[in-house]
Amino acid sequence: MTLREFLSDRLLRIIIQLLCVTTAALFLWATGTQLGVLAILLAAFLPVFCAVHLSDFFLQRARLRELESILDSLDQKYLFTECTPPPKNLYERRVFDLTRRACRDMTGAVSDAKAAQREYREYVERWVHEIKAPITASRLICRDLDGETRRKLTAELARVEAHVERALFYARAENPEQDCLLRQVTLEKIVVQAIENHRFLLIQNGIRVETEGLDCPVYTDEKWAVFILGQLLQNAARYRGEAPVIAISASSLGKQVRLTVSDNGIGIPAHELPRVFERGFTGSNGRSRGGSTGMGLYLCKKLSGFLELELDIASGEGRGTTVALTFPAKENLTKL
Amino acid sequence: MPKIMIIEDDLDIREELVLLLENEGYIPLVITEFTDVPGQAAQERPDLILLDISLPGKDGFSLCAALRKTVSAPVIFVTSRDAGMDEVRALSLGGDDYITKPYRVPVLLARIKAVLRRSIGEPEPSDVLDAGGLRLSLTKGMVSAGGRGVELTRNELQILACLMAHAGQIVSRADLIDALWDNQIYIDDNTLSVNMTRLRGKLAEIGLPDAIKTRRGMGYQL
Repeated sequence: MTLREFLSDRLLRIIIQLLCVTTAALFLWATGTQLGVLAILLAAFLPVFCAVHLSDFFLQRARLRELESILDSLDQKYLFTECTPPPKNLYERRVFDLTRRACRDMTGAVSDAKAAQREYREYVERWVHEIKAPITASRLICRDLDGETRRKLTAELARVEAHVERALFYARAENPEQDCLLRQVTLEKIVVQAIENHRFLLIQNGIRVETEGLDCPVYTDEKWAVFILGQLLQNAARYRGEAPVIAISASSLGKQVRLTVSDNGIGIPAHELPRVFERGFTGSNGRSRGGSTGMGLYLCKKLSGFLELELDIASGEGRGTTVALTFPAKENLTKL
Repeated sequence: MPKIMIIEDDLDIREELVLLLENEGYIPLVITEFTDVPGQAAQERPDLILLDISLPGKDGFSLCAALRKTVSAPVIFVTSRDAGMDEVRALSLGGDDYITKPYRVPVLLARIKAVLRRSIGEPEPSDVLDAGGLRLSLTKGMVSAGGRGVELTRNELQILACLMAHAGQIVSRADLIDALWDNQIYIDDNTLSVNMTRLRGKLAEIGLPDAIKTRRGMGYQL
């Protein structure tokens, strides 16, 4: 708050006060008070007026600065009124009480919402674990079937699993710190696991996967990295072209390691490329091929942000898509 | 025959596992009462234990710690819990392996075999395969017949190994591709054809041009 703002806020009051002074002076002059006496009176009272306004200004400014520093120091800003000393002035105190009541109501609503979200997440996780039992049983039952039916059913089960997995990671992405475990793991292990998880989809679509130079360690959460890579493989399979090939290779960038996943699929139109990480964005490919949820890359981006992975995508229509995942150097990881 | 104890509360999975393990030549032991599991295990003396984590009463983690005191059999956790923390916890409590549901059946069997091999010293799988007049050395990547030998590439080696393991039977192209993917050779149908042609060429070099027969619409047969 500047002095100018303060004065303009009080302008009406100051004008009224000046008017009163002028009227009183005119009245005294008209009833015969000498000009010299008037001058003495004005010289005595004007500084008092000014001092009152100025002291108000400094007090208010100090209070505002105090409140601002309290707000800045708070992690949960909505707890502001709980952490602020109440004002001394009656009117301000009343306003403060009203604000505090409103904030308490909101604090309650916020904690209810948080509890509801936590419960929902817990429910989703439990549900995911429960649904895996019947999927496991179905897999075991499938092995008695003859080749072709078994393959088709197992592929369908794999699709169910991919959806279940996305739901689990969607719930986890809300509170990623809860089950993130950063360890040293070789890229090869991550890649082999991701391919294994989606082998039915890949084999069914006649895809050849070429891997190269994956024998290097990275520091990351294995399950999450497998999930992210799995989403990329699913996309490559869904948006495949003729004689589909996925090439997975690693290269070292100083202390960082870059994993590149390229396909020779149908590619992404240039104008859609900036939007592929948006939640629910399906694009023209997603609409024409169907089965797109618009969640895969969104989740990839969200989880890689947490794992401090850089996720870059390049694509050309008809030329295929390349996604590069850059794993951070160990010493740069902040959340351990 | 190794005895495998199944500690799993899902009835369907339990029944299917029993059938599967019987087919594979193991003796399955089933826990149906989840009270005093360590006592039951001590009585039955299994060679391996498959342990779920979410169980009625005590969970798998504390059960594993208790089992460790009564039996020396290795424990494989088989669970739908897939967070990295769970795995670390399971292995630190004395688990020998950790498999997440839903698993592929061949993966489960391979892991069981590997753990059993470590614990009761089952013989290592042989390095040399003999079938259809051929002798294949897996570590050297050499196939020989009648004193003549030829080197194979990794892909050709795995194709031939798969056919020799099922000598006499018809192996479909899909099964061959499956077997190759199990060995981290991620090829497609066309690449399989190319490799098959090369493999046949090499077999012809050692005097067996018709060792691998094509069964139209069904697959290959050694």
